[in-house]
Amino acid sequence: MSFKQEFITNFIKDDRWKYLVDGLWVTLIITFGAAIIGVLIGFIVAAIRTSYEKTGKLKVLNAICKFYLTVTRGTPMLVQLLIIYFVILAPLRLNSVVVAVVAFGINSGAYVAEIVRSGIMSIDSGQFEASRSLGMTYGQTMIHIILPQAFKNILPALLNEIIALLKETSIAGYIAIQDLTKGGYIILGRTFSAFMPLIAVALIYLILVLLLTKLTGLIERRLRASDR
Amino acid sequence: MTDDKNIIVIKDLKKKYDSLSALDGVNLEVEKGEVIAIVGPSGSGKSTLLRSITLLEMPTDGEIYFEGKKVNEKKNNINLTRQKIGMVFQQFNLFPHKTVMENLILAPMKVLKMKEEDAKNRAIQLLKKVGLEDRADEYPSKLSGGQKQRIAIVRALCMKPDVMLFDEPTSALDPEMVGEVLQVMETLADGGMTMLIVTHEMGFAQRTASRVLFMDEGKIIEQGTPQEIFQNPKSQRLKDFLSKVI
Repeated sequence: MSFKQEFITNFIKDDRWKYLVDGLWVTLIITFGAAIIGVLIGFIVAAIRTSYEKTGKLKVLNAICKFYLTVTRGTPMLVQLLIIYFVILAPLRLNSVVVAVVAFGINSGAYVAEIVRSGIMSIDSGQFEASRSLGMTYGQTMIHIILPQAFKNILPALLNEIIALLKETSIAGYIAIQDLTKGGYIILGRTFSAFMPLIAVALIYLILVLLLTKLTGLIERRLRASDR
Repeated sequence: MTDDKNIIVIKDLKKKYDSLSALDGVNLEVEKGEVIAIVGPSGSGKSTLLRSITLLEMPTDGEIYFEGKKVNEKKNNINLTRQKIGMVFQQFNLFPHKTVMENLILAPMKVLKMKEEDAKNRAIQLLKKVGLEDRADEYPSKLSGGQKQRIAIVRALCMKPDVMLFDEPTSALDPEMVGEVLQVMETLADGGMTMLIVTHEMGFAQRTASRVLFMDEGKIIEQGTPQEIFQNPKSQRLKDFLSKVI
């Protein structure tokens, strides 16, 4: 079969390209949905952990956070996804994309939490002291002084986390989601040719990652410019 | 408990880090309007004493009273105490992600619940006094060290504090910028502000202070008027110290 024929069989015939396009959307939805949840969880966990370290308060919450971090970072993402889909959220009979967003979000939150925590630690303690000396509370200091500066420092690391997340969502097919990877796999099943659909899938991931990397670079340069 | 004229009273204050004793029983009474310079070799506990007053350092033992209320006890709302005590740091500690004006109005708006307009008006008035009203929209990174420190002083003043604490305010400055900061502090002292200043600027202490404390090894060794301390030191340790710095 010529290259052209193979291309037509894999992508044009029966509108098979739609598996990739639809799959791409699902992949993007899961990635960015999970990223939002991950960042939310990450900031909350980091805030609890650092306020425990700084003030000794929130002991119980800190213990819960530590447990969450240990379990989430100590077990494979795929196992977590399967447990959340088949065990924890099974009774709710949710749409599997929603389950994936939740599962990947919870996983990502653990990594974001450690990124945010390192960002908070990187802020000079003088900032904290100056803010508290003006009579601002711990919470006000976090919200107005520490977190905005920490966020700026960790933005590149956060975008890297989103890139990792994007690639990791390729296992979503395990819970019957037709994401990008699964889309390519379905084409393979129809045409019995592996090369083109899988290479196409890989290329699309690669392009997405390159776009995100480019964005990271742009933002980093912009941030550095405002430091001068 | 305390006299009304004493704005700060410190009784037998101790601060230990593991085996090291940073403060070893300090007693101090500060009257309203006093300008107190605290001098002494590094590691003598000067900064620790200053920082203890607003509990940036937690004392190990002893009592601190501010305007008649005990500061170092659980039921005291430390945020209220800190509102009334301005603090100026060696490293300025301006908020780099905020403009000068935002630095100045943040706490008045969030803590004192002032309207933005009122907070800005107060800030501009004070900026004029230090000659930096044209820098209101700059970010701190665009300012010189001396300008940063003057802004940091204004930021503390925007809270209308009853006392100002200065922790080596000129130690991080290039020599040619020390004068402009000391000038602002002298004006403040002339205006009747109660001030405690940890400093290595002996000339400034001599000119401006109403009382000078000499600290060493966590204790106040000697105190008195600038005249008494600088021209007529009694203890050998103070004599040694002065012979090194002057």
